[in-house]
Amino acid sequence: MRKYFILLIILNSIIIAQQDSIDFRSPENIKKFGDYLFCQGDYLRAVEEYKSVQNILRNDTVNFKMMLCYSNLGLYETSNDLYKETSWVSPFHNDIELLKIKNKLLEMPRSIQVFYDVPMDSVFSIGISKLNMTSRLYGEDIRISKSQFLSPFDEKENKAAASLYDLKTNPPYKSPALAGIMSAIIPGTGKMYSGEWADGITSFIVTGLMAFLAYDNFHAGHNTRGWIFTTLGTFFYGGNVYGSIAAAQIFNAKINFDIQDGIKLFLDHNNYFLPDYDFCK
Amino acid sequence: MISANKLKTVLLFIFILMIEASAQTSAADQFNYAKKLFDEEKYFDAVTEFKRLLFFDKSDKYLFEANKFIGLSYKSGGKFSEALTYLTLTEINSKTKDDFFNSRIEIIKVNILRRTTSRALSLLDSLNNDYSFTDKKDEINYWLGWAYIFSDDWENASLSFSKINENHELKLLADSVSNELYNKTLAKILSVIIPGAGQIYTGEYFSGLLSFGWNVLWGYLTVQSFVDDRIFDGVMTGSFLWMRFYNGNLQNAEKFAEEKNLIVTNNALRYLQKEYSGNKP
Repeated sequence: MRKYFILLIILNSIIIAQQDSIDFRSPENIKKFGDYLFCQGDYLRAVEEYKSVQNILRNDTVNFKMMLCYSNLGLYETSNDLYKETSWVSPFHNDIELLKIKNKLLEMPRSIQVFYDVPMDSVFSIGISKLNMTSRLYGEDIRISKSQFLSPFDEKENKAAASLYDLKTNPPYKSPALAGIMSAIIPGTGKMYSGEWADGITSFIVTGLMAFLAYDNFHAGHNTRGWIFTTLGTFFYGGNVYGSIAAAQIFNAKINFDIQDGIKLFLDHNNYFLPDYDFCK
Repeated sequence: MISANKLKTVLLFIFILMIEASAQTSAADQFNYAKKLFDEEKYFDAVTEFKRLLFFDKSDKYLFEANKFIGLSYKSGGKFSEALTYLTLTEINSKTKDDFFNSRIEIIKVNILRRTTSRALSLLDSLNNDYSFTDKKDEINYWLGWAYIFSDDWENASLSFSKINENHELKLLADSVSNELYNKTLAKILSVIIPGAGQIYTGEYFSGLLSFGWNVLWGYLTVQSFVDDRIFDGVMTGSFLWMRFYNGNLQNAEKFAEEKNLIVTNNALRYLQKEYSGNKP
């Protein structure tokens, strides 16, 4: 028996010594290769590799990385569905909670208030508070004071968060009604009020010119020309009032877009308050 | 006679060895497997398997071939940026003059396909100036022709193909396209001199005559107003009507030339894509 055992060891070492032979598809190697693809940013292939060993290795890190892969691929729902497969005692449990909120916000930007009733590390509870607070900016009404809003943010994030809060609570909207009234009184001023200076001046000149030409022609007894310029002037006047209302509405839509864009940039810049992972170091 | 126990041990021993040996795959087998996937046009899987080979095979034996096939797979999948990354790696790992040349040609082809033709032309220029590739002038000129085609420069394309053969199929095609194309500047200049002439030059006779008619009418009325000392009428008719039709006539001439040219070049490209049997990018 001992003879065969020694022979087995010798032959085994010969096989291993064949440098050309590699076990490309052992679960460990598949995982290693998946890790390599993950670090290369090839998330689609990485997740395919992880999937093939998921049931064999039963590894929380693999599960979490798969969630990250799906999230990076924009498959937020699939990423969050994997949460069910992660055990409560997973070392990534808190990270997963944060990632879940990130996915929800990326899937549909909205106000999300997550209340986490499990004892957590302070880093994660602060991260969740920050995400809760930032997501409030997506809602119609923030309903909390500025100091409350800023409470979870640190010094570095404070300035950006404060300016977003100010922009959301006091957006520099322009009143479409006021713009319309202004242009009805003095043509073009409603557009200038909405920041459309060139359009405003053009409206003022064109409408003014038409009114003058109408007056001048009536005054000189050229009634037909007078009516032509009156019609044209009325057309420009109406267009100027309508254009001013539209300009104010477009201005407000741009402010709304800036707010949404600002929130997204703030979250992206801070990686949705997820900690840095050393998977690829 | 071997005892039953001994026989069992020997069989067990062989079984263990077989399992051990079968789990190992040589790098050559892995390469062949990946190549088979490539040949079967399963490009996604081919990329994965070539990447797996590159990750585990530390001998660097397949650096050139594997990177080449990854690049070609990405190219076939329309992922041109990724294709360029791997084809550049192929070029870096080329060991012979021919390998280097072929890798660069592949890079050029990808640049032609993604319409970064200035890069393709500069790479072709570098090959053209390299004395080690004097025997490959025909191939260089061939791809130069293609790069010019995709730059919409049919005259230079014809010149490049003519260096291979005066009666080269693509030279004749480029000549015919070149002859069919309308000169945008000429169309515009003609319309500057005689309104509508540019449209007539591009084959839009009705539009040309209409444009000519409108310009004659408003031009006549403008001039007549000034002759009759009706300065205001002259200014209004001239600026609001005549100039409007005159400018419209210039824009139309250019637009028609562009539209006609697009039809001609699209027909040529369709022919190249579907009917031309020679090498394509």
